[in-house]
Amino acid sequence: MTDTAPLLSLQNITRNFGAIEALRGVSFEMNRGEVVALLGDNGAGKSTLVKIIAGGLEATSGKVLFEGNERNFTSPAEAKAAGIETVYQDLSLCTNVDVVANFFMGREIVKRYFGIPILQEAEMYAATEKAISNAGTKIPSLRVNVEHLSGGQRQAIELNRFVHWGGKLVLLDEPFAALGVEQTRRGLEMIKRIAAHGIGVVIITHIMAQAFQVADRIVVIRQGKVAGDVARDKTSPDEVVRMITGEAFQGKAQEARPNGP
Amino acid sequence: MMSSRQRTLIEFVLDNLVWFLLVFVLAVFSVAIPNFFQIGIFANIIEQSTFVGVMAIGLAIVIIAGHMDLSVESVAALTAMVTGILFCSHGIGLGYTLSPEWLIVPVSLLLAMCVGAAIGAINGWLVVRLQMNAFIVTLAAYIWVRGLVVAISGGRSAQGLPPSLRFIGIDTVAYIPLIAWIAVACFALFTFIMAKTPFGRHVTMIGGNAVATFRAGIKVDKLVVFSFILAGAIAGVAGWLLAIRTSGATANLGTGMLFNAFAAVVIGGVSLKGGVGQLPGVYAGVLLLSSIHTAINLMGLPAHYTQMILGGLVLAAVLLDTVKLSIRQRLA
Repeated sequence: MTDTAPLLSLQNITRNFGAIEALRGVSFEMNRGEVVALLGDNGAGKSTLVKIIAGGLEATSGKVLFEGNERNFTSPAEAKAAGIETVYQDLSLCTNVDVVANFFMGREIVKRYFGIPILQEAEMYAATEKAISNAGTKIPSLRVNVEHLSGGQRQAIELNRFVHWGGKLVLLDEPFAALGVEQTRRGLEMIKRIAAHGIGVVIITHIMAQAFQVADRIVVIRQGKVAGDVARDKTSPDEVVRMITGEAFQGKAQEARPNGP
Repeated sequence: MMSSRQRTLIEFVLDNLVWFLLVFVLAVFSVAIPNFFQIGIFANIIEQSTFVGVMAIGLAIVIIAGHMDLSVESVAALTAMVTGILFCSHGIGLGYTLSPEWLIVPVSLLLAMCVGAAIGAINGWLVVRLQMNAFIVTLAAYIWVRGLVVAISGGRSAQGLPPSLRFIGIDTVAYIPLIAWIAVACFALFTFIMAKTPFGRHVTMIGGNAVATFRAGIKVDKLVVFSFILAGAIAGVAGWLLAIRTSGATANLGTGMLFNAFAAVVIGGVSLKGGVGQLPGVYAGVLLLSSIHTAINLMGLPAHYTQMILGGLVLAAVLLDTVKLSIRQRLA
């Protein structure tokens, strides 16, 4: 039954901070393998929404259904255990250790000798190598400290790690903010690849071109509400901009003018 | 482009720079200073390195975890005094004996470690639970623990440990004093723990990015408290060795060791920013300091030159760190 249910379903989510209504009833659904771009102006409520999905905040009212079951995550760790994770720039890697150590952070393979846990480096290396090469990512050496790797390579490690450990829904907050053109292109490709594994991807971005390159659907949040939820191939950047700024009706009126008297 | 073999070689040299420096300094001293090149001198350097060396292990672990422990010197003095008071036969010593006699070794060692661990636990608790700055917490401990030493001893000293304990400070194995072997064993043990166990791996990662480790489900608070406890217990061992070597304890025992330990840690390549450093390097740092100290003694220079050189070395070590970083960045 859970297989037919949407991966994530938000039903009328609200969130108040004192008298301020950050979210005023947000509802949308997404399926496995779907890439949803979450757009909206600063202060529209995107970050609040992402935090609620990933367990960083609790909703004031409304339901979060994950794989068909109502869930109420009270901490990021709980959401993570269920397979939901947010990838923040530079907040999930330890750059002072190598790729393998990062890949197995908190999940190290150990063998106990006289009750003392000993790290099994060879095994961890092999598993990391397999996962990274399966994903088609190129990293010069898995023994190099992450601080010597590029932003794109770091992101690749984070995403591959997420996939490897059975993640189901990944939330990316401005994932390409600090990346160059080529790295961004690779990052977008990788998002498509992990979506092809059946993983749901929510990407928050300000850059319209990126949203249109990678997303299957575009959800626009405006003043704490869903102002638009459209398939990418049924909309245009201009229309999305109007949804973000709330000039949809005005825009239509302007478009109508040339045909008028 | 550089071949990977060349790169590995350069990385190896950079990682072990302080060892190369030590060998270089010893070679220069051996050639330049008459009577330097003899087993007795080298054994003396290794012996001298014992107390500061052992103390530096705990200090290094806490710094690698991204914190700071200035209390190790006073903790060592406290455990030395506790050992002295309980087991010395003269001065303020109570002269407790155990039967069989050899039991005194494990019992006194365990006691020293527990006393040290207790101080470490207090430090760790204040840092983690009350979110106080480790620098301030342990600076306070540096002061109050030393005060405690003076208080429990009344400023007087204890002398005369029984032979069943004294032998550790007197015997030599393969020309090298037993206590120095104990220090080497401590370094070997904790090098292994830092490199091969999840604890060492996690502590290093916490020092690198505590947020990331927390998000990965690693129990950051618990591990930080534990690293303080460990530093306290290790300082306890240093104090125990100090008491054995001097066959007693005075209220001002070990004064100034903190700065030597600190210098060794920095020279050994441990970054004060946390997350970076290797214990063998720290040991090399301690040996380097002892070598310089010994050389200055042999040359008959006044002791305060040691301090000047020490200060210069610490600065040089930090500069070197910057140079190493830029070389590494060029490699990557």
